[in-house]
Amino acid sequence: MDIDYLATVILSSLSSASILLIATIGLAVVFGLMGVINLAHGEFLMIGAYSALTATQMGVPFVLAIPIAVAVTMAIGALVEVLIIKRLYGRIFDTMLATWGISIVFYQLAVMIFGTVTPGIGMPQSNIQIGDYSLAGYPLLMIGVAALMGLFVYFLMTRTVYGMKARASIQQPEMAQAIGIESTRVNTLTFSIGCGLAGFAGAVLLPIVPATPSMGFSFVIKAFLTVVVAGPVTLTGSVLTAIGLGGGASITASFLTSVAGDIFFFLITAALLWLYPLGISAKWRRKL
Amino acid sequence: MKTLPFLRYGIAAIALMAAHATQAETRIGAIFDVTGPLNIYGIEQQRALELAVDNINENGGLLGEPVKVVSYDAQSELSKYTQFTHTAILRDKVDALFAGLTSSSREAIRPIIRKADIPYFYASLYEGGACDKQTFVTGTSASQQLSVLIEWAVKEYGKRIYIMAPDYNFGTISAHWVHEYARSLGAQVVGQDFLALTVTDFTPTIQKIQASKPDFVVALPVGSNQTGFLEQFSAAGLKDSIGIVSSNYGSGNQQVVVSPRAGDGIISNQGYYMAVDNPTNRDFIELWKQRHPIKAPLTSGAVAVWNAVNLWAKAVEKAGSADSDAVIEALESGLTFEAPNGTVKLEPGSHHLRQNIYIARGNDKHDFTILETFPSVAPFYENEKCDLIADPDLVEHFSPEAD
Amino acid sequence: MSYSNAIHHRAGTIFPFIAAILALGLARIIDPYLAYVATSWVIFGLLGLSLDVVWGRGGFLSLAQTAFYGLGGYFGSVVAINLSAVTGHSLLWSLPAGALFGALIAGALGWIIFYARMGALQSTILSYTFTLLLWSVSQSFKLDAGSAVIGGDNGMSNIPGYIPGFGAGAEALEPAGALMFVVLVAALAYFATQRLMTGTFGKIIDSIRLDIEKTELLGYDVRRYQVLNFAWSGLLAGLAGALFGGWSNYLNPSIFSVQEALLVPIYVLVGGLGTLAGPFVGATLIGGLSFWLGGGAVGGQTTLILGVVLIGLVLFLKKGVLGGLGDLWRSRLPDPNEAARGAGAVSIDPDELADILSEAEAQAGPAKSLRAETLFKRFGGVIPVNEVSLAFIPGQPFSLIGPNGAGKSSFLKTCVGVYRPEGGRVLIGDRDVTRAPIFQRVRAGMGVKNQKPQVFGELSVRENLWVAAYSRVRHRQRANGIAARVLSMLGLEAQAEVRASVLSHGQQQWLDIGMVLCLAPRVVLLDEPAAGMTKEETRELSTLVRILARFTTVIVVEHDMEFVRTLEGQVTVLHQGRLFAQGDIDTLREDERVLDIYLGRREHV
Repeated sequence: MDIDYLATVILSSLSSASILLIATIGLAVVFGLMGVINLAHGEFLMIGAYSALTATQMGVPFVLAIPIAVAVTMAIGALVEVLIIKRLYGRIFDTMLATWGISIVFYQLAVMIFGTVTPGIGMPQSNIQIGDYSLAGYPLLMIGVAALMGLFVYFLMTRTVYGMKARASIQQPEMAQAIGIESTRVNTLTFSIGCGLAGFAGAVLLPIVPATPSMGFSFVIKAFLTVVVAGPVTLTGSVLTAIGLGGGASITASFLTSVAGDIFFFLITAALLWLYPLGISAKWRRKL
Repeated sequence: MKTLPFLRYGIAAIALMAAHATQAETRIGAIFDVTGPLNIYGIEQQRALELAVDNINENGGLLGEPVKVVSYDAQSELSKYTQFTHTAILRDKVDALFAGLTSSSREAIRPIIRKADIPYFYASLYEGGACDKQTFVTGTSASQQLSVLIEWAVKEYGKRIYIMAPDYNFGTISAHWVHEYARSLGAQVVGQDFLALTVTDFTPTIQKIQASKPDFVVALPVGSNQTGFLEQFSAAGLKDSIGIVSSNYGSGNQQVVVSPRAGDGIISNQGYYMAVDNPTNRDFIELWKQRHPIKAPLTSGAVAVWNAVNLWAKAVEKAGSADSDAVIEALESGLTFEAPNGTVKLEPGSHHLRQNIYIARGNDKHDFTILETFPSVAPFYENEKCDLIADPDLVEHFSPEAD
Repeated sequence: MSYSNAIHHRAGTIFPFIAAILALGLARIIDPYLAYVATSWVIFGLLGLSLDVVWGRGGFLSLAQTAFYGLGGYFGSVVAINLSAVTGHSLLWSLPAGALFGALIAGALGWIIFYARMGALQSTILSYTFTLLLWSVSQSFKLDAGSAVIGGDNGMSNIPGYIPGFGAGAEALEPAGALMFVVLVAALAYFATQRLMTGTFGKIIDSIRLDIEKTELLGYDVRRYQVLNFAWSGLLAGLAGALFGGWSNYLNPSIFSVQEALLVPIYVLVGGLGTLAGPFVGATLIGGLSFWLGGGAVGGQTTLILGVVLIGLVLFLKKGVLGGLGDLWRSRLPDPNEAARGAGAVSIDPDELADILSEAEAQAGPAKSLRAETLFKRFGGVIPVNEVSLAFIPGQPFSLIGPNGAGKSSFLKTCVGVYRPEGGRVLIGDRDVTRAPIFQRVRAGMGVKNQKPQVFGELSVRENLWVAAYSRVRHRQRANGIAARVLSMLGLEAQAEVRASVLSHGQQQWLDIGMVLCLAPRVVLLDEPAAGMTKEETRELSTLVRILARFTTVIVVEHDMEFVRTLEGQVTVLHQGRLFAQGDIDTLREDERVLDIYLGRREHV
């Protein structure tokens, strides 16, 4: 095995894991802080992608289109939370089914509004050369983006008043109530932030994955598995799981076939659940 | 409160059935994916069918009677094909069926059609090999397209080939043909990768391509995955050194989705492009424009439906009735038709279409420039395996992998 | 019992029976194509039933039902293709083969899920992963199995229809006949399931759903029941799959798709979770909706409408169509929970109690000791049980006391089997149970009452006691007798048919104790039994514990020193995971060291 090939495999696996992590973080935040599995997460990603796409088509530069996508998805997320999720607190499987209904509705609406063929925006044509191999630059950039997203969420949760409140409401709900934290308002914000992160993911991944109504689907399955395998300590757990599962699958795909990579992902997920029935972080002491 | 509307629908439906009990005019069924993820193809197929039937009816109908269409929306769900095929046969008693896009939809339909014994037209490019008395295929088959494409590409780029294909029949059988043609041309398949349908991240594949240093890549992912691959391939800066050819790029207007830079220079081959230059095609496009604004280029799938309906109509005229046996006999008489993609001929033995195959290059305006036309290319594999004149009872799905 | 009440009681039998008869009659009248389509609704209903068994009754939302359905379909069809060509009669082959294969796969998957003790969410996701894995693998899975050809994404064709006759010339059923046949099979499967679920097995499955920990504390091997229940659901799903193969004459990997997997919970939810008959109603409504909309009635936006319907159902009609109707009906019937309102405080009958206990002793043998030998348990750096050796012998009540964090309840949990110790042994009588699962310890004679009252809220008071008694005697009638006696001992006869959840907190505590007594335990562990009880109730409890100690070994973990004093037994003090002092309560009260740790004074803290 050539050293340059190995280097590209490692770099690109890291970028694959980062893409998975970017697509997962919003889901992890909502699950970790609300105990809600949002099956419409993929559709929020899709909404983010279409928002960014529509904005660029109207002449907004791509970099500015990303915050627009975040704003749109946050607003829709807040609306969904207030209208639907709020009524289902504590009923995790009902929430799953309701959000699945939401995902179907959003998907069909996207088909009706955008049709199934819309032009993509293309990927920046930059690349780096390692020995004989050339790697597209933009997917590598995602490693940095994923790290920034992780840091952003970490600081949001530990350094802001909102973050303290949100963590208090899930870790000590009664105490939080007693000291006057309005958990419903915190939850609305949490869900909205989760959706905003999904929207950010959809927008920032748009050059790699063209916007189609069904685009969320390809991400969302692996994202769910990542979050569930991660267990109660969602943020750190998800980062580790995404790197392990996503990176592992990508390395498998590099040496075998891409299908083998997928099968690796599913089998390792099953094995991890067998070994850690409550997720890998079930017995950790840290909370974030 | 919930049941009432259902009752009403039920009663209405039963009344509708009673009304259908007697019929005189010729009636055809159409099952396409007008909604759901596959409607990117389904809507055009449906429009092409309506256009063809309206065109026939405006020109006096068939045997002096207008043709009636009964349409069903399969909603991109396989089980709906089974259900609606039965509905078309049992309730609406259609004389012929035009249906399906995916191979699985065709395979779901065929057993039912054989029992009902009516002609069935499948109008989509596919992996090839479907063979029975009732089934007629107007799309191109994998061997038909790839025989031309690989020869052209080896001449153009060189002898080292890399294959990336989706991991299901279309992909694996196409890969088989690439191997076969490569062998006969003295070329070499230096690597291949099979992809799950949900893959969006192609970095591992792109590495493997670079590691095996091919002259060109046969890229066959489906739908939006294809454009995703092209974007990533182009961004990695490989397009100048490695050619990309595809037998399914452009079948669903992928060239519109892909960015101009990534789409520029991609080689596609299909049985039809909107840019085909002949009078029939000009008329066809004109006719289409009168009905629907053309937002995205017309596809080979749409033309295959148009050809199917017209071939069937010719057979009915020739047989003098819409009766199944007579129509199938007429369809097996070596019918030809002046189609938008040039003259096509229905092969009597294989029930597949001998037709032009075009090789085109994607340009930077979301469109194609035709490079070369290969006239009247035979469906090689199907002609070789499937002779329904000699053996009318043949019911098979031939696959070169099993040979 | 009123007429309406009697029908309500048997609604699960009467209405499905009428519906099946109606469907059989209608099958002959309606148009063949409608009969054909309706056949698929019945099959989907059967698939829904398989989910209702695990989800509505077993409490586990499985997204693997379509996996069993598809595997059963494929397997049953492969068998049918090969054998019915020789013998005719496709059904004789495909249905049993499909059902058995489904049961087998479900049993294997269930074994993994339940014996690993996965969390609810993880179980659901693992079942989903299983379906997804099949979906990816089956896309390119190619196999020639005799005359059957499994062609990856192209699926498997030429599956014979429903051929009821023998011989090579046997013909497949026409649509009307096929519908009647499928209705018949579905009805049989439904009634078999309904029988299973209203019988003993169903009651235990209900108990597991309501409180799995308590069910195991009653001595049931809960994981075995869960696996069996899952296997039964796999059997139903496999049967449905085999029927589907014969209906469509074609199978393909899309049967494992996400869309298919998520449709099944919708059928169940629309019809009514846990109603068993509901999934058939749900599948017919959804199938009908999709069919008539798909026919072009509303511009083909079926999917959109389905999505909205799903959200609406979850939000507004939690119990589905049948559940909602059932509630409406029940609200017009006399309220069986009425009796709970008039009930006063529980007052036990000491003579009756002594009778029950001596009879239990006659049946289950003499009291057994409970011994812990250098028991050791750690959690990371914390050691809540540090080489504790204690022997509890019959004859007088034992109390275990100590300040918060002394390790009392960790010690108790290690003895019960909730925690696995890192060192030492636990013995019940002479039997070493250190590694035994909870239910085996219960069968060895251990009875446990936790601090919170643990009763099966949705079952009646009598049923709660019956489930406990049945665990020991495994005989319906004898369990009835035991339940009746304990009921009368507790003075709860008037509330026998009341749902346990409407009882007061104190009454639930007594019911829980009653359930423990039904087990005829030889060692009884009571964790803070007096918590939340009134003065009178505590007095009654003290009487009970003292009578109990005449027949069995009793260990009480308690905070309430006054209560401990009334027990007049041996007291053990734990401190920081270690045995600290032992003696009778008055001696310990004098002990400066004990006072030190209770008051947090320096020396011994």
